[in-house]
Amino acid sequence: MIQSGLADPRKTFGAAVHEVARYNPDIVVLSADSGGSSGFKEFSLEYPERYHEFGIMEQGVMGIASGLATTGKIPVFCAIAPFVTCRPYEMFRNDVGYMRQNVKVVGRNAGISYSDLGSTHHSLEDFAIIRMIPGVVILAPQDPQEIRSSVKAMIEHDGPVYMRIGNNPIPHLFEEQPFEIGKGMVVHEGSDVTIITTGSVTGNALQARSILKSKGVSARLVAMPTVWPIDRELILDSAAKTRCIVTVEEHYVVGGLGTIVQEICSEASPIPVKKLGIPHIYAASGPYDAVLAHYGLDADGIANDVLKFAEANKKGR
Amino acid sequence: MKKPSIQELKYRAAKVRRKIVRMVAASGSGHAGGALSCVDALTALYFYTMVNSAENPKLPERDRFVLSAGHKCMAQYAVLCEKGYFPESVLDTYGCLGTQLPGHPDMHKLPGIEANTGALGHGLSISVGMALGLKETGQRVFTVLGDGELPEGSNWEAIAAAGFYGLDNLIALVDLNGLQISGQTKDIMDMSPLADKFESFGWAVGMIDGNDMEEIVSILDRLPLGEGKPSAILMHTIKGKGISFGENRVGFHFWKATEDELRTAAAELDQAIAGLEGR
Repeated sequence: MIQSGLADPRKTFGAAVHEVARYNPDIVVLSADSGGSSGFKEFSLEYPERYHEFGIMEQGVMGIASGLATTGKIPVFCAIAPFVTCRPYEMFRNDVGYMRQNVKVVGRNAGISYSDLGSTHHSLEDFAIIRMIPGVVILAPQDPQEIRSSVKAMIEHDGPVYMRIGNNPIPHLFEEQPFEIGKGMVVHEGSDVTIITTGSVTGNALQARSILKSKGVSARLVAMPTVWPIDRELILDSAAKTRCIVTVEEHYVVGGLGTIVQEICSEASPIPVKKLGIPHIYAASGPYDAVLAHYGLDADGIANDVLKFAEANKKGR
Repeated sequence: MKKPSIQELKYRAAKVRRKIVRMVAASGSGHAGGALSCVDALTALYFYTMVNSAENPKLPERDRFVLSAGHKCMAQYAVLCEKGYFPESVLDTYGCLGTQLPGHPDMHKLPGIEANTGALGHGLSISVGMALGLKETGQRVFTVLGDGELPEGSNWEAIAAAGFYGLDNLIALVDLNGLQISGQTKDIMDMSPLADKFESFGWAVGMIDGNDMEEIVSILDRLPLGEGKPSAILMHTIKGKGISFGENRVGFHFWKATEDELRTAAAELDQAIAGLEGR
């Protein structure tokens, strides 16, 4: 049964790592003055010898994480998303990626969830830039149970992983289920259009699908919590079934999930793909829900855009 | 195992320098200047101080070596080869397609390499992580930094962290050859006084002539230089050391070698080796 209510993604994440760390003594948590806000307070109290505080030095911490991993530790480094992606990018690329180290980097308050703090704190290019580092898995869990199950999968995966989570409370969307890296999920079948969604906006996409249904549009909804390596088969299956796809993500419309879907479709199954996300600008600040609505990423906005796109492509056929 | 004598270490260092010339001959060019300045220290580390094994490069109890100034990699390649980590014939692939010896070290290509360095200002952070991970076992981590890379801010993040965590199993050897691509380091970005800087971050500091094997061995015997503190060994060296026309020459940072130069360098080093052989 799906739980009701909302959950804090950061606390859910911290508790999930804590849980796995109980039976995996190699896990160490690194903090750049960021551990407490990443849900690691309890972990730091129970395992002080496995909790390393470094202060605000994300470039240093990324290299240190790599060095720790060479000794067999599994470092988990979580901080505000742009500060673990953009700022130490070369350390991520060389020390973690190129060295193929078993480091887990987690960007929290990702997307535009630090909506009121301005563009310095938004993370709207993390999928794009981290995907350019060969061999890094990118995860964007969509609800609390998926944060828990993907944390387990992330730790079990032997290699570098980037996970992004949001900030604002998120609804429970799915039944408890095991997480398989690289696999998407058909949440609802549909025949007119496929909506492929990832991360914390999946709840809005699900609501949008209900709105569309009431307007006579049958949308297939595919949840894609692994952004890279992507579930290519499921994308092509959707392209074949509905002949048009809309992607939804809390990321720039360039370089993210939508771009990946377009790359795959344009080569293997050329169909129209519409990308919903944040335009490639320094985005507006304000309350989270208002900013999402401003860029059409609330349920109504998604439904409107999908409706228009589905109609246009229906006519064109 | 019996420790090698100073004389033997000098002999090894001369052979290591000769191997660097062999690599440059294979590719026609390479970062020779900085490699040659740190050869003596690397030779002492691999032949005298560090727990390491050519037969088992992944020996669990080994000490670690990270070359933060990755462009000096010919020094590390040559020392590893001299130690027997890989056959001498591999040296002749330097600069060739698919070589195990790229222009900056790759741990997945060559046994004995512990980190992929080359972009400057990375090696010390990686070393801090290694030292933190190995603190309980007491295994040591040695890092060679170039003086030209010291303005990279990430070094100072690592220096702060090492001091804060009291990583006395971490030893940074700073190769102060005083030159970088554009000129003298002191004119480009003067980072002196270095000893004061390291000390203020909680490090213990020693200063040596980094091309004097007696001084190198003597300070390595005294590690850690301070109880509960990481050690910084500030090594004053000569860039291009061992090749007469390369010493202290800015242009020798990256040596585009002529046939004549290669012959002269090889002859000088062969002579040095012969002078040290069997003594």
